[in-house]
Amino acid sequence: MSVTRPAVSTDQTPVRRDVVDPIFRYVAFFAATLLLAVLGGLIVALLIGGWPALAKFGPSFFFSTTWDPVREVFGAAGPIVGTVVSSFLALAMALPIALGIAIFLTQFCPRAIAQPIAVMTELLAGIPSIVYGMWGLFVFAPWFAKHIQTPLSALGGIFAGVPNGANIFTASVILAVMILPYMAAVFRELFRSIPPQVREAAFGMGATPFEAVTRVLVPYVQKGLVGAVMLGFGRALGETMAVTFIIGNSHAFPTSLFSSSSTLASTIANEFGEASGMHASALIALGLVLFLITFAVLAVARWLLSTQRY
Amino acid sequence: MSDMTTQDIQSVIVPPPADSLVLEAKKLSFFYGTHQALHGVDLPVKRNAITALIGPSGCGKSTLLRILNRIYDLYPGQRAEGEILLDGENILSPKVDVTALRARIGMVFQKPTPFPMSIYDNVAFGVRLHASKSSAEMDEIVEESLRRAALWDEVKDKLHKSGLGLSGGQQQRLCVARGIAVNPEILLLDEPASALDPISTAKLEDTLEELKRDYTIVIVTHNLQQAARLSDYTGFMFLGKMIEFGPTADLFVTPKVAKTGEYIGGRFG
Repeated sequence: MSVTRPAVSTDQTPVRRDVVDPIFRYVAFFAATLLLAVLGGLIVALLIGGWPALAKFGPSFFFSTTWDPVREVFGAAGPIVGTVVSSFLALAMALPIALGIAIFLTQFCPRAIAQPIAVMTELLAGIPSIVYGMWGLFVFAPWFAKHIQTPLSALGGIFAGVPNGANIFTASVILAVMILPYMAAVFRELFRSIPPQVREAAFGMGATPFEAVTRVLVPYVQKGLVGAVMLGFGRALGETMAVTFIIGNSHAFPTSLFSSSSTLASTIANEFGEASGMHASALIALGLVLFLITFAVLAVARWLLSTQRY
Repeated sequence: MSDMTTQDIQSVIVPPPADSLVLEAKKLSFFYGTHQALHGVDLPVKRNAITALIGPSGCGKSTLLRILNRIYDLYPGQRAEGEILLDGENILSPKVDVTALRARIGMVFQKPTPFPMSIYDNVAFGVRLHASKSSAEMDEIVEESLRRAALWDEVKDKLHKSGLGLSGGQQQRLCVARGIAVNPEILLLDEPASALDPISTAKLEDTLEELKRDYTIVIVTHNLQQAARLSDYTGFMFLGKMIEFGPTADLFVTPKVAKTGEYIGGRFG
């Protein structure tokens, strides 16, 4: 043959491909399984640590409202309900406001103002939770007790409770303030991700801003919205320091909006230092319960996403 | 400098008969902030005809289209000067109800923009905004619109499936169906076939040919053959000006402005 081509040979490649590629695959595989192993290990550790309490109290651990470290009788119904209720309330307060912020910033606000507001929102999200907790305890709770709780507590019912400002409701407000900037920031990114021509198409059909937002733009990002809401909810469930400051740390089963209460995380934080034996085991079991609730929330989010048709 | 080259060009506008006009833009200028994108553009639009706008990228043809239904209103800083008469009323007036205007002048975009809802709801979307219909009436409107957009046979068994699940060509015809469902007087199309394959493009063109009997269509296109095939009148734009406007056959065969001939002949653009 007269044509000479440069020789292509595997011998000349600087690194042996047949060696690098399997290594690459194993490294990727290892990275993926590491997380799974940590998760599994965590569950096993929580199960082992919490087992003495779970075995002793059985189902009543979840349903009994008695939490008595002195007599070593432990029932977690109070903290469980406190956790779920305070997180739900926080979400209910934060969600509409976060949506409003995100919609305003992306749809109606002049760009020159939108950017500074967005940066401030993100700054709020970065404030350590203990700062929120202190603000809640020293500023918000006294104000709330004096101006809102005292007048309302005369009504009784869901407003009954010691008017000291340390209760489920104020904890929820602090939680809402904490998850609000986080959710608003994620929502804003979602709305920004909508192609401009989709928005133009909605307005181009003669939709008003309200119609365009509610009927086209929100549905366009609804999967992301559900995900962001669940992450915010997850953050509220596990938030510890701020809640510990302000929820009142009572193990009694909450009977009103203004009851002092506790959450799973705040109970663990308050008591782990001096706990031993059955008490420590009960606290670890609380950790397991918190883990399961968070897991259930994520599972529900997944299920919600899978049922959406568009 | 670029303006210098158009300054010595004398625009030639051969408008359709005055009594056949549905919309007329006069001395239209447009600004993106401080940048002027259109310079005193005239555009007469004939009723029940297809008007094509051609010209090189950035010549202002899409900008012109976006003024006609005031979609530019969404962006602060963009403004139009001049006059656009629709039935004798200047639609650039701040007093005009833009939501009602956009029901009269529909728009289909370059990329398909189905909404995240079922095929049926996509078509019914605009109708629901502007009128309340019984479900039987709505069924009829949806079917009729999809038939006219030449999509009915392909989707009639999955009307309640997501509009996002269709192919690109089907999505674009869905957008056409959505646009005509509100029975607009004018349908604006901004390079509607640029993201489509040749077969989908041919189907879309057939659809537009059909629609012309009942609607007035203004289409922006990069595709000169498409403009020549489809349209009755063509406007050639260059550097934000309407260089030549006239019956498509005349403009393509015997352009009156040298620049038009150069563009059509493929010498620039």
